[in-house]
Amino acid sequence: MGWRDAWRLGGVAFGELSFQAVYAFRQGNLLPIGSASSLVPKGRRRVAQSKAIVSTVLALLAVGAAAFLQRGAMFSTLLFGYAVPGTILDTGVVTGILTLDAAFLWWTGLQVLPTLLSSSVLPVLEALPVDPATFRRAAALLYFRLFDFPVVTVLVVTPVAFGFALGVAAGAAVVPGVLASVVFALALSLLTGRFFVRRIQGARGGGGNSVVRWTLLLLWLLPSFAILGFVTGGFRFLFLLVAVASGGPSLLRDLLYAMYPVSFALFTGVAAHGRGGAGLDPGAIAALAAGFAAYLGLAAWAVVWLFREIRELGHLPTAPTAAGPRPTYRLRPQTAARAVLTKDLRIASRTPGYAFLLMLPVLDALALGLLTVIDAPRASAAEGLALGTVTAAALLATFFGPAFFAIEVLAFSYGRTLPLRDRSVVLGKSALIALVYLVASAIVLALASLRVTDPLLFLAFIAAELPAVVAAAFVELGWLFRRARAKGFPVANLYSGGWIAFLIAIPGLFVAGAPLLVFGVLGLPAMATLSVAELAVFAAFALGGSDA
Amino acid sequence: MALGAGSDDATPLRIDRLTVQYGERRAVTDLSIAVRPGEIYGLLGSNGAGKSSTIKSVVGLVRPVAGAVRVFGLDVAHDGRRTKEELGYVPETSMLYDSLTPSEFLEFVAGVRGLPEATATARARTYAAAFRLESEFEEPIVSLSNGTRQKVLIIAALLHAPRLLVLDEPLNGLDPRSVRIVKDLLRRYVAEGGRGVLFSTHTMEVAQELCHRVGILDAGVLQGEGSVAELRARVARGDASLEEIFLRLTREDEGLSDAVALLGEP
Repeated sequence: MGWRDAWRLGGVAFGELSFQAVYAFRQGNLLPIGSASSLVPKGRRRVAQSKAIVSTVLALLAVGAAAFLQRGAMFSTLLFGYAVPGTILDTGVVTGILTLDAAFLWWTGLQVLPTLLSSSVLPVLEALPVDPATFRRAAALLYFRLFDFPVVTVLVVTPVAFGFALGVAAGAAVVPGVLASVVFALALSLLTGRFFVRRIQGARGGGGNSVVRWTLLLLWLLPSFAILGFVTGGFRFLFLLVAVASGGPSLLRDLLYAMYPVSFALFTGVAAHGRGGAGLDPGAIAALAAGFAAYLGLAAWAVVWLFREIRELGHLPTAPTAAGPRPTYRLRPQTAARAVLTKDLRIASRTPGYAFLLMLPVLDALALGLLTVIDAPRASAAEGLALGTVTAAALLATFFGPAFFAIEVLAFSYGRTLPLRDRSVVLGKSALIALVYLVASAIVLALASLRVTDPLLFLAFIAAELPAVVAAAFVELGWLFRRARAKGFPVANLYSGGWIAFLIAIPGLFVAGAPLLVFGVLGLPAMATLSVAELAVFAAFALGGSDA
Repeated sequence: MALGAGSDDATPLRIDRLTVQYGERRAVTDLSIAVRPGEIYGLLGSNGAGKSSTIKSVVGLVRPVAGAVRVFGLDVAHDGRRTKEELGYVPETSMLYDSLTPSEFLEFVAGVRGLPEATATARARTYAAAFRLESEFEEPIVSLSNGTRQKVLIIAALLHAPRLLVLDEPLNGLDPRSVRIVKDLLRRYVAEGGRGVLFSTHTMEVAQELCHRVGILDAGVLQGEGSVAELRARVARGDASLEEIFLRLTREDEGLSDAVALLGEP
């Protein structure tokens, strides 16, 4: 049997994986009434839609960046007040695009990888009389099909867009960087997915173990936060690049030029605009060449590694559990809403995707709070920055609210057999969102207290926004509950309609954001009034529905 | 006239003219059965006969297109939450929160059901000891075997000492010791007045040994109901086993010998 058979087998396995990812039957969801015959085509359509959306985002990023660089001198003058040298501007923007491509593809893989690991589609294939080489190929094809349209989009649209904008040489020069980014994303998905299964999902319960789990999750998520930091601090990076390039030989410059993806991006910049302004002396060229070659070599090794490791995807061993004395456990039941909150926190501590969403506003607050303390030239500026950071925390906590609802897909049908009121679930999850906001705000408050002149105002601002954050959570969760009841299954991941969650987050963001806008125009009392009014209105919407 | 709370309170479960449909496919047609106080009622049927659809209607997972399901007189369609308080449910497949440990999962269930700490802990310890589950109480459910997951579900169903137990193929995946424990547990459970058990299986020996009455479903239609003795009388064979009765009532004995003979051919 050859590649054709492997493609056929991989196709069957991917169909099953798509089906499971959309409907989550193995995670405890139930067959929706009245649509049994249309489930499979509907599942395929949803997967195709999800891939189309990710591909469109990636294509828009590439085309937008290329269009920006085509008028680079004009835009950089508008943004920074002076024309950044073309080579440096290209390097900065291409670095951003390659980072975002890798991040998006990695994120796409992480969305579906837990389903692939729990679906048993590969062990089922392995049990068939298929020779090992064909099985290996089928497994590889199955894995690559998780990323197919988005990867093709990145590989084709990025070089073509940069080719049109900056010339054929630049279009060709970006290809190695794009290829390496794709390979790194696929390898990182597999590597982190395995780490998750071995070290986090299989970890024991108990207080001490929870701390270890959250610490490991933090390590696991660090690269994602680094990407977020890069996106947040893109302008700072460009300034750093300009400073380093014009500052003459230095270790920092050589290290920067040797880094991924700067080495690939600088290669593109040089192909488009030559060496001018980049400070490319022999030392810098050596650093660039070394980085370029090392990352290409690493990408080639990653391809070989991927093919070797993919076949193990179906049966990953979890971490061996330590033998010890039998625990003297005690059940500590809580009220229904608190039980939901505790359950969600426990699930998040073993599920990186959810942990990421919980920690994102908190770590963002930590990073921006630190910058506030370090960077702000005056106390009043620090106050403004700190308020901005709290605003970001409120909006981030609200934006990812729908994702907390997705936890309900786990054992969704079993949960529906318990006497659990919808309002208890909404309250539990809204409390989680409020908790994330409050922890993030407390971090900013603690950091900014060194610089803020009017801490009472700052505290009042945090308190005034809290009802709006809860109201936004009510809007989103109330809406999602109604949809889950109507459709029979909740939004679980990208494949099962994650885009709906994004749409639902828009009114949520509006509700959380309106009092912040009012604060800017009418001040704190008006902000607090609007915030409380929103809470009163949307509490009725979310908590006054069915009691089933 | 619809039966309201109080009018039929003593009957653990009453299903009246239940019809369940998935798209064009009808899974259950006009089914009427009741589980009496102190009774283990076995729902028998081949694969796809409608057992699980019936059970899912009872626990509120499936909305029937016609008919009514009442738990101690409470209508599942209109009083879902109160009926859920009255029953404990073991699903056909182990639908659990895989990333929780059994103790975390049971703590969640106990919280939702409003159990006091002492009661929840004492019951969990008793059942865990009976099933020899203590050493796995802090392991994530994802790492447990199917049989162990099934034990966790059984404990979760029993934790609040419900008055009606609804069990969908509960013995699947259990080791012989645990099967014996579950059987004994169910007998003692219904012996304490007023309780009832609805039990689906396609293992005739288990049903014959355990159930006070059985209902035989075929293609969603009830073909026979009663104690094994009553069903023997119905098929006019005083020594018939439940398996023989089942095959006769569902007419699955027709051509059976030919099918068995075919198995012997190369």
